[in-house]
Amino acid sequence: MTDQIERELSLPGTPEDLWPALTDPDWLCSWLADEVWLELRPGGEARFRIGDEVREGWVEEVSPPVPGAEPGSGGRLCFWWQAQDDCASRVSLELIAAPDGTILRVREARPLEVLDLVGIPMPGNASGGERYGPALVAA
Amino acid sequence: MSERDPAGAVFEALADPMRRRLLQTISGSPSTATELACELPISRQAVAKHLTALSQAGLLDRERSGRDVRYHVTPAPLSEAVSWMADVGGQWDDRLARLAALGEPVARGRARH
Repeated sequence: MTDQIERELSLPGTPEDLWPALTDPDWLCSWLADEVWLELRPGGEARFRIGDEVREGWVEEVSPPVPGAEPGSGGRLCFWWQAQDDCASRVSLELIAAPDGTILRVREARPLEVLDLVGIPMPGNASGGERYGPALVAA
Repeated sequence: MSERDPAGAVFEALADPMRRRLLQTISGSPSTATELACELPISRQAVAKHLTALSQAGLLDRERSGRDVRYHVTPAPLSEAVSWMADVGGQWDDRLARLAALGEPVARGRARH
């Protein structure tokens, strides 16, 4: 059982045009967080400041869009972040080519099983659900 | 499976933006369908339909007050998950609004600050 939110935003331009908005710290600082450090490779470090809050994490996936992508394909950036005393969540930012621009699909999920891995007790965490997290991702 | 079904119903109920908005309004103050229809840009019938979905997911309780039924938010065991979703969802709404405002310059790849 995974808590997840999903949002979509239509943007003008192609996925390649918009990739810097997801990966260039200058752009990220203007919408994602006040300060962003991202090491753009799987396993790279990720650090964000949002007001007084610092979130730390790591990069899971960096898949830049392929030029001239067909509708439905695009690029994806996934990272994990976690504020102190909070549980980690996984953010997936996906750029999907659409006929009249690009759709940015955001998913943030808090896979409860991961909390077990890092030793944070989670009441009501039924076992046997989907499994995510570093162990799987490393494959 | 029985443990997962209620949670599935909750997330399905919350997948709809209008239902999230209704839940937010009701969490501010318990309301009747008529009051909600006045506040929100949808008909009373549409409100009633959403309230049924939210009630069935166990997110709302009904309480009779005179001729009306007043809805309030259930302090459910899932409320932690629900409040996480509301918080995180709200944060992304804000972030995407900022990104949308940058949309054109981002697409053109100019306009650095």
